[in-house]
Amino acid sequence: MIGLVDANNFYVSCERVFDPSLEGKPVGVMSNNDGCIIARSAEMKAMDIPMGVPAFKLEALRQRGEIHLKSSNYELYGDMSARLCQLLRDTCPAVSPYSIDEMFVYLEEFTDRQCQILGEWLRRRIRRHLGLPVCVGLAPTHTLAKLANHFAKQMPHYQGVCLLQADGAATAALLKQTPVGSVWGIGRRLAERLAVSDIHTAWDLREADVQRLRKRFSVVLARTALELRGTACLHMNDLDQPRHRIMTSRSFGQPTGVKQEVHNALRRHAQRSAEKLRQQQSMARAVMIFLNTNRHRRDQRQYFPHAMVALPAPSDDTRAILDAVRQGLEQIYRPGYRFMKAGVMLLDLVDAEQHQLSLLNPPSRNRYPLLMATLDDINRRMGQGTISFGMTNANAAWQLRCAHRSHRYTTRWDELMQAGTHPGAIRECALRKQPLP
Amino acid sequence: MSLPPSPVAPALPLTPQPLPYSSLQGRAGFSGFPSPAQDYEPRTLDLNTRLIKNPTQTFYLSAAGDSMEGWGIFEGDLLVVDRSIKPRLGHILVAMLDDEVLIKRYALYRGTPHLCSAHPHYPPLPLEDTDCQLWGVVRAVIHEYLR
Repeated sequence: MIGLVDANNFYVSCERVFDPSLEGKPVGVMSNNDGCIIARSAEMKAMDIPMGVPAFKLEALRQRGEIHLKSSNYELYGDMSARLCQLLRDTCPAVSPYSIDEMFVYLEEFTDRQCQILGEWLRRRIRRHLGLPVCVGLAPTHTLAKLANHFAKQMPHYQGVCLLQADGAATAALLKQTPVGSVWGIGRRLAERLAVSDIHTAWDLREADVQRLRKRFSVVLARTALELRGTACLHMNDLDQPRHRIMTSRSFGQPTGVKQEVHNALRRHAQRSAEKLRQQQSMARAVMIFLNTNRHRRDQRQYFPHAMVALPAPSDDTRAILDAVRQGLEQIYRPGYRFMKAGVMLLDLVDAEQHQLSLLNPPSRNRYPLLMATLDDINRRMGQGTISFGMTNANAAWQLRCAHRSHRYTTRWDELMQAGTHPGAIRECALRKQPLP
Repeated sequence: MSLPPSPVAPALPLTPQPLPYSSLQGRAGFSGFPSPAQDYEPRTLDLNTRLIKNPTQTFYLSAAGDSMEGWGIFEGDLLVVDRSIKPRLGHILVAMLDDEVLIKRYALYRGTPHLCSAHPHYPPLPLEDTDCQLWGVVRAVIHEYLR
């Protein structure tokens, strides 16, 4: 059996762990720069506030106190995600994280009954030990586990844990009422194409002829159909996007046309991407940078350039990546545009360990891993950007706007959660710290 | 929910981390003779391992208010809170009551469980018939004299 542990409304749940007054209220989390809604509590979903709605449209509701909006607090979410993953590692034979809030656990040697019990136990434990509500989907394959998790979330009678067997009347009934677009890896377009072939539900796909699927659509879709039958044939490596590419991109707080500001932002994204690269022990063969102007401002000149720079050799060295970024920017930068967004993507990743065995690895670089490891270690312990290459201007336009960010409770000493020794103590403490008028 | 553009590095805290250049330890001078201390594993007492038994479930909080001074908790003290411990009578708890986060001692008062403080102004809060929720158990309090 494969289990998928998926946190409910993860970002909102993280906020609620440290601010219990948000419990039971409509809460939304905004994207970088407080642009739009990227996560909603169940109460906010019930108000029919859609995903991706621009935050300014909700400002009136927020000011009336009817909803609560938070700036995204990735430091907090990242730390809670690491704790969730660690808790699973402490209790399950094998774990592999799929995204910030979804983790697969592998329970090969357990019976169905044991899996069900373990799933319920995990759910209670995560709730009590981390304060996070999760749902657990259990099934023989990744694709079915993902569906099982979907059912565990949607159907209250499962009480957060759904075990889906490969065969049986219950599975058939569930798959028949599931649109094919809800199956993992099937996007809207593919679902439309499948509808033409008379495949509308997950059950239709399961029963479709695999050879025909392979010919008319793709190998991956054929495998998905097999997975729905309970034959495991998709592996984490097929699904794990971060293993193939790493991207860091952000909108500027204020649109900017100044080359130095654009360059600074790209440098910071590059350093962050390089750190992620080293963390997963990969090396990149190429670096892509891109810039966007604001496509909604019809009155401004538009420019969406990108540049790809191949690295001389696969590398995880921040300096090599920064060099590539500089070259790329020279290629595409043009004055007279107001850039809204910049990003750095590392492409064509290879396994660092395999690469280091190569005799062609230039020996002059032997000292840099220690430098990079020390850099990463300091930034991990002291906070992002404690040490970086070159200077970054703290007041630059591209600094994130995060007016409503909660404290980074688990990663900053001066932002810890407060507990009062009696009702009202926290308020009194805050008043004492304020200077007298 | 899919992976956001830039999740922060999973920074699992609280594990003892090796010093960056530990490989240089254990040798004396440049003579090439092994240090007599080399056979002894370099060991340093690590407060993390003493105060934090369950790093994944441990959170730091900061105390506000004076009504727990009798139990050694002063305003601004650092609380090491372990969420994996089952609360028992006599434990100091972090609990949520009416949207407030409180530090109290879990104890019997007139035969029933109460949240007690160490201050005459704040009477014990009965736990029966309230929606009080446990947040965690305080494992240690750190009071820094110099900061």
